[in-house]
Amino acid sequence: MTSSSKTLRAVMLVLRIALGAVFVYAAWTKLRTPWELFAMSIDSYQLLPLKAVELVARTLPWFELAVGLLLIAGFCLRSASAATALLLAVFFGLMVRAYAKGMEINCGCFGANDIISWKTLLRDGSMLAAALALTVLSFVQRRNATAR
Amino acid sequence: MNMRLGALALLLLWPALAAVSDIDPNKTAGNPSAPVTVQIFSDFECPACKVFHDRSLPQLQRDFVATGKVFLVYREFPLPIHAHSREAANYAVAAARLSLYQPVADALFRDQFAWSVNGKVWDTVASVLTLSQQKKVKAAADGPSVLGEILREVNLGHAVPVTSTPTLVVSRGSKTYPVSGTLNYAILKSLIDDLLK
Repeated sequence: MTSSSKTLRAVMLVLRIALGAVFVYAAWTKLRTPWELFAMSIDSYQLLPLKAVELVARTLPWFELAVGLLLIAGFCLRSASAATALLLAVFFGLMVRAYAKGMEINCGCFGANDIISWKTLLRDGSMLAAALALTVLSFVQRRNATAR
Repeated sequence: MNMRLGALALLLLWPALAAVSDIDPNKTAGNPSAPVTVQIFSDFECPACKVFHDRSLPQLQRDFVATGKVFLVYREFPLPIHAHSREAANYAVAAARLSLYQPVADALFRDQFAWSVNGKVWDTVASVLTLSQQKKVKAAADGPSVLGEILREVNLGHAVPVTSTPTLVVSRGSKTYPVSGTLNYAILKSLIDDLLK
């Protein structure tokens, strides 16, 4: 194993454990409370009809948990990292829209009391960058493995 | 005999009252022994609080308070960003001393747009009080008792922590959930129904 591939593996390990832990924590903060609390946060974005709000509030935390566990375990890494990047891109887009419209709402990221601000945008933007990097690296690693 | 009955009533209600500390009995609605307690941390000058007061609160009162399922507790949480909300809270809490919290709160939310612009909070408050009541409310509004109560409730809000208004703290027994955001009534109703199961 070359030193560059060692570095690549180390960077990927750090990224997937960090992102996985964040996703598991985000899921846990939602699943330990009634789904209605997360539904209130989703409804605050004023984008979805009530039925869709309920569906997302009931299912998204389980999806976050699954993705987080896959990242930590390192299973289906390309799919899990791509799903993570896609989710974070959607979350980030919605938060930027709310912030630009001056909506002082709870972002719904980690339960209650997480009002959208430049800090939450910076945090989620960094996570999105990390997820994109992990996705690219996981595909690069696969290509290198296939080429050998 | 009456004292014994009073002591017995207090003993029976104590668990419900102890669950929510520092309650001003004149700023409540419903049965104190109701299974669910909803504390409303609100600011008279906040537009979202007016929307909640005008739209969701009447439904909450009809479906749950009038039926004895929810005990409502009103909490003051005047935000520093609003120029007149502290003054409005002072008058409302002073009016509560005369059991007139609700009519004053209703008037303050009804005329919110006007007094938040022109600053004439007292005119709105006075419009629902008699002359004698006006004197008492005016005298009490800046007193240490009223100011102390508001400070206690703001501190309670910070402990939740309340980060936006209105915030509801919905509790049953050891389960306590702060709820903020649009406070969509259908979702709030679902939460309370689940807690009542």
